[in-house]
Amino acid sequence: MTRNGRMALDPAFRRLAAVFSMSLAVLTTPASAEEFEVTIHHAELQEVTIKPRVGDTIRFVNQADIAHNLYLTYEDGQVETLDTQPPRTTKQVVLRRAGHVVVRCWIHPIIRMELDVADKAASQ
Amino acid sequence: MRPILPIPVLLAWAVLLCGGTYVVTARSDAATAIDGPSQQDITALKERFRRPDGVPHPKANPATPEKVTLGKALFFDPRLSRSGSVSCAACHNPSLGWSDGLTRAVGFGMVLLPRRTPPVRNLAWGAAFQWDGRADSLEAQARMPITAPDEMNMSMDLVVERLKAVPGYAPLFREAFGGEEPISARNVTAALATFQRTLVSGKAPFDRWIEGEEVALGADARRGFALFTGKANCAACHSGWRFTDDSFHDIGLKAGDDLGRGKFAPPSVTAMRYAFKTPSLRDLRMQGPYMHDGQLGSLDAVIEHYVEGGERRPSLSFEMKPVALSAQERRDLTAFLESLAADPAALTLPHLP
Repeated sequence: MTRNGRMALDPAFRRLAAVFSMSLAVLTTPASAEEFEVTIHHAELQEVTIKPRVGDTIRFVNQADIAHNLYLTYEDGQVETLDTQPPRTTKQVVLRRAGHVVVRCWIHPIIRMELDVADKAASQ
Repeated sequence: MRPILPIPVLLAWAVLLCGGTYVVTARSDAATAIDGPSQQDITALKERFRRPDGVPHPKANPATPEKVTLGKALFFDPRLSRSGSVSCAACHNPSLGWSDGLTRAVGFGMVLLPRRTPPVRNLAWGAAFQWDGRADSLEAQARMPITAPDEMNMSMDLVVERLKAVPGYAPLFREAFGGEEPISARNVTAALATFQRTLVSGKAPFDRWIEGEEVALGADARRGFALFTGKANCAACHSGWRFTDDSFHDIGLKAGDDLGRGKFAPPSVTAMRYAFKTPSLRDLRMQGPYMHDGQLGSLDAVIEHYVEGGERRPSLSFEMKPVALSAQERRDLTAFLESLAADPAALTLPHLP
């Protein structure tokens, strides 16, 4: 015991415990989520075929010289809006629902991307 | 005191000096004029603004000559309005560039509407329609002014009823759509949309320049194009062959109660407050008025607005930034905009059944 009453642990044991905790963290939920990147060029989204699942993240990288304001419409009509995205900035969204999702831009209606989000359990 | 040199010699010297200065100034102007995009950039720019070959029609509503004929008749037929006196062409008058030349449109009962009559040319390539983009197809758009209480103030049922009562319309609808009951609300809007897709700007001097006819564009218009795509940054939104990307922006105009696209976006989407559609710049009526509510009466006022950068407020478009333009640069921009106008296409008015 130490002077303040805590049990003194062998340093080797502490290192082992730390590695175990980190491994546990890696093997649980956060690691199962993937991250996808979609680039915006002027008024179009880079054509990508992604197959995300609920909980995955999409990062939208604005490589255009103009600002955008993307929003996602889920199959049930729920809309998730990202904030105005000036050039050379990135916005990201965590996909919350399974089903068909349409990505559009409030500023540029010509921008459109459709994707299907799989249920989290379906692919685990 | 006697001059060092004889007066005639001094005069000749002064003339030479002034002339030389003029030549240097003129040459530096010329240098400024070509101090824009490189030849390689110009070639790339030309591709970005080259007009397309054909006109797109949706698979769900393909074009046929019969449908265009019917759509044209409907477009010019005032019986589509409750009063029987207002046709689509009343506001989209071909003699006034398919508009009405008014600051704000006049609606049912001669009531002044809050917005200017929007341009209708080149909408076949459109992505969103109306000043606020609330229609996502021309077919959906065609129904809106007909049924708006403050515009033509009709119901589509009544439109169908009236058209069925006109014997001459039955064969036009049959030829266009076939079927047992071809006179329907859906076919009315389909025909109107098809006709509107045929309203395409003619070939302008700018197009001939794109195609390689160098003399089609004066030096001032070419400098204006360089400004338009460069320093003035107009092409951030007025891009592509139609000179619009159909985007929506608050450009910092004097704002009233009209939120524009903001009415249809969640309140958190600040950028859509007071945002209106970027209009095409082809075939501008050079005498104005301009903007969604006609609040700017001249092209000079429009350019001045962009020079100043618009009213600073949270919704102001990211693309709106003040830009200093000399008098010459303003004239060059105007010359360029003039080069986007084509001679009006010949039009045969329909004989209504």
